Amino acid sequence: MTDRTTPPPELAVQDVTVRFAGLTALDDVSFTVAPGSVHAVIGPNGAGKSTCFNVLSGLCRPASGTVRLDGTDLTRLAPHRIARLGVARTFQNIVTTEGTVADNLMLGRHALTRAGFAASALHLPSAVREQRAHRDRAREIAELTGLGDLFDTPVAVLSYGDRKRVEFARALCLEPRVLLLDEPVAGMNGAERVRTAEVIRDVRQQLGLSVVLVEHDMGLVMRLADEVTVLDFGRAIAHGTPEEVRRDPEVLRAYLGTDDTGEDAA
Amino acid sequence: MSDLLKRGRLLPLVLLLAALPFYVDAFWLRIGLFAMAAAIGAVGLGLLAGTAGQLSLGHAFFLAVGAYGYAWLAGEPGPGLPPALALVLAVLLAGAAGGLFSPLAGRVKGIYLGVATLALVFLGHHVLLTADSVTGGFNGRSVPPLTLGGFTFADTDPELVVLGVPFGAEERLWYLGLALFALTWVTARGILRGRPGRALVAVRDSETAAAVMGVDVARYRSAAFVVSSMYAGLAGALLALGFRRIVPDYFGLALSVDYLAMIVIGGLGSVAGATAGAVFVTALPLLMTRYADHLPLVAAPGSTGGAVGPTEAARYLYGAAIVLILLYAPDGLHGLARRLRARVPGRRAKAAPATAPTAAPARPKEHTP
Repeated sequence: MTDRTTPPPELAVQDVTVRFAGLTALDDVSFTVAPGSVHAVIGPNGAGKSTCFNVLSGLCRPASGTVRLDGTDLTRLAPHRIARLGVARTFQNIVTTEGTVADNLMLGRHALTRAGFAASALHLPSAVREQRAHRDRAREIAELTGLGDLFDTPVAVLSYGDRKRVEFARALCLEPRVLLLDEPVAGMNGAERVRTAEVIRDVRQQLGLSVVLVEHDMGLVMRLADEVTVLDFGRAIAHGTPEEVRRDPEVLRAYLGTDDTGEDAA
Repeated sequence: MSDLLKRGRLLPLVLLLAALPFYVDAFWLRIGLFAMAAAIGAVGLGLLAGTAGQLSLGHAFFLAVGAYGYAWLAGEPGPGLPPALALVLAVLLAGAAGGLFSPLAGRVKGIYLGVATLALVFLGHHVLLTADSVTGGFNGRSVPPLTLGGFTFADTDPELVVLGVPFGAEERLWYLGLALFALTWVTARGILRGRPGRALVAVRDSETAAAVMGVDVARYRSAAFVVSSMYAGLAGALLALGFRRIVPDYFGLALSVDYLAMIVIGGLGSVAGATAGAVFVTALPLLMTRYADHLPLVAAPGSTGGAVGPTEAARYLYGAAIVLILLYAPDGLHGLARRLRARVPGRRAKAAPATAPTAAPARPKEHTP
């Protein structure tokens, strides 16, 4: 289960273009997530960050371009196959399912478990054993993300911040090698943000995975990210360390705005 | 089952059900048998509609496949297989019929699947009427009794008297129904509480979340349809054994709607709820037929007066029950029972120390409209 002894894979996005009925949501975007790094994708609203995540997780098929995970082209694969390769994601708007925190986390174990309809229906020892073992691991992950006390609580009664954490923990339950976090701290208060940032840093160190992060909170990005890609109107306008990106004139223009809306100027 | 028995909650109920044939007459046992058969079918439909969020109006078709499949496989004309084997094969046949439908069941969502399955009922009914050699046409065909290792679930062969109570077909079939229902209960619980159940709930609540967590959405949709069809097949075969003669008109659209009524009244997505709904919907018309003389506004069966016949009256009643349930208890009888239980002080006190933090946030929800 957790014996991901191999180092995390390289995720290479190359020349990805996505069009929605006349709108080019992503235009020839390329970036590479170095194994084990935290890579932030930032940009103003509508820049194409979520579309980028949808391409990475297979929910959206690009018109052209490839996404390679250690050589495997993800753009040809269905979302559930990408999940089985160890790519997990969270959503900007929380998407949990009915049931307790435990049920949601166990859904995260789906790709790592086998029990089918027949084995579950007949309560085969293998299915029972598997369920117990994976529930233990789910509980560990709940503890790690600060959900230990809420493990058997229905998700419906949790606060916004806790539900956000459930999504994060559910993604971790996949034992991902690449973790895609779509605005993990949106809507959280200061203390919750700090805590989430710590958890992200912890799991990355403990579980040795690559993290791709979409976030509006620049403080969080500056603290966590090793590398930043800036999107504006579907184009990658800058790459680099947080420091480099912060000083990049293109980026300043995109964020602060001039009458030049990011066409190939200067 | 074993863990439930260990906790002892179901043991008194099981004992009570097992003892009933010694105390009640064949009329009540027949109601019980039909209720148990319906419960098996309702559990299957609940798995599809409640858990996986897929509407099916074709349940009657799969009940028919199970019923006619058994009657044909075990009977004359037909291969005349050993009835126990025929029963198993009838269930598999219903599952295979569901599997044939899976290209649609896997891709089409929710209410659209409901419309697509509607076609199955009419197709099935037509085939039952026209394929005389297999189904016996309009007049139907008789159903050979089940035999298991020399023991026949019928009035004779062998003659059986247990503790001074003669065991006829009703008494024997009651135990068969009980065993098959227990099997359904245990297997459905295993599915719902295990990996497949969680995947189906995810498919229902958010297709995208399910997919990015590694659930093959189309495969699970079709699998839910196949499993649901198998439960329907088992229910159909048991119904056939209870009726002893099956006719095409029974397996019409109204039957599919009855099953939907069962799971709505009982509460979607729970085995106990589906069972409660099945008992309610099955028993009501039979009881009203029996007690028609004593009920106001209800005509005795067979009379031609202006009053409402008992079967129609039962339909009105459970139609009203559906409206009431949807208005006041959308989670059905099961949800109603759960909320009542939460109000009994003794139980809450017992549960509180174990789950103190969860009890607190759960409380306010009961009072929100």
